[in-house]
Amino acid sequence: MLSFFSPSNIFVYLNKVIEFLNSIIFIVLVVALTFALVISPPDYVQGNVVRIMYVHVPAAWISLAIFSIMTFSYIINYIFRIKNLLIINYSIAPIGLLFTALAIITGSVWGKPTWGTWWAWDARLTSMIVLMFFYIALILSLKYLNDERIKLKVTTTLSIIGFINVPIIRYSVDYLNTLHQPTSLKITGTSTIHTSFLLPLFLMLLVFLIYSALIFLMKYKTEIIKMKKKRLKNYD
Amino acid sequence: MIKDILTMNGYGFYVWLSFAITFFSCIFYYVKTYKELKKYEKEFAKELMELSAINRQKYLDNSKVANQIFLSKSKTI
Repeated sequence: MLSFFSPSNIFVYLNKVIEFLNSIIFIVLVVALTFALVISPPDYVQGNVVRIMYVHVPAAWISLAIFSIMTFSYIINYIFRIKNLLIINYSIAPIGLLFTALAIITGSVWGKPTWGTWWAWDARLTSMIVLMFFYIALILSLKYLNDERIKLKVTTTLSIIGFINVPIIRYSVDYLNTLHQPTSLKITGTSTIHTSFLLPLFLMLLVFLIYSALIFLMKYKTEIIKMKKKRLKNYD
Repeated sequence: MIKDILTMNGYGFYVWLSFAITFFSCIFYYVKTYKELKKYEKEFAKELMELSAINRQKYLDNSKVANQIFLSKSKTI
């Protein structure tokens, strides 16, 4: 059963999934942008600048989700030594970094008209910068450490220490002094965001998820080919 | 209508800047990832073709991945 999830078996289906995602992303993007930039109403306090939320919030969610997935994978891999999880982590880390940077940049652009400044060293913004540094450290370790055992130890340690920052980011707006508004969308409890904002928000999240899946699958495929390329030398 | 969408009641610069940065970074990274994948596929297929016929067949028999790439790329080399 587990052999079905080996890179070689997964590889056979990668092209079909990539083709499918490529065929739907443009349609979903057009629908999402129409809702985000045209149909969605302006906020009664922030006006049209609230539309930045449709790129800022999904980017932030994905950056946190990817770091959590990576930490979980590292812990599982450290216990069970599943090489596929390392390839997965290597492939998703750059996506996490991209979305963390986008969340920070779009947040900064949103901050200028809302708070009157591009940047403030408050709890939410600083903790997001810290997350970005952990992503950079992880990617550099994965790329430049040659000894596999040391690489595994360093990256696992980095991801576990970095993961402590995830709940800090999540709860910094509720418990710490920050310019950032409190959480509007809650899984448990009443959300303070109107449904007319939720549809574009989730449509943009869907676009970002499809995009992330596409990048992940292409990078995963590249990593498998690199691995097979090394083995090819044994047949020379 | 179009003017309203472009100006966003004075917030157009901030809204469009955010969407443009997101859009272009994503496009840039997509193209970079795609090109890297194609480069490695091509290199792998080329190295596979350079093997002797017996060794190549032996490798193809043992690797589903090699088979897939070989089938898709052998025509273009």
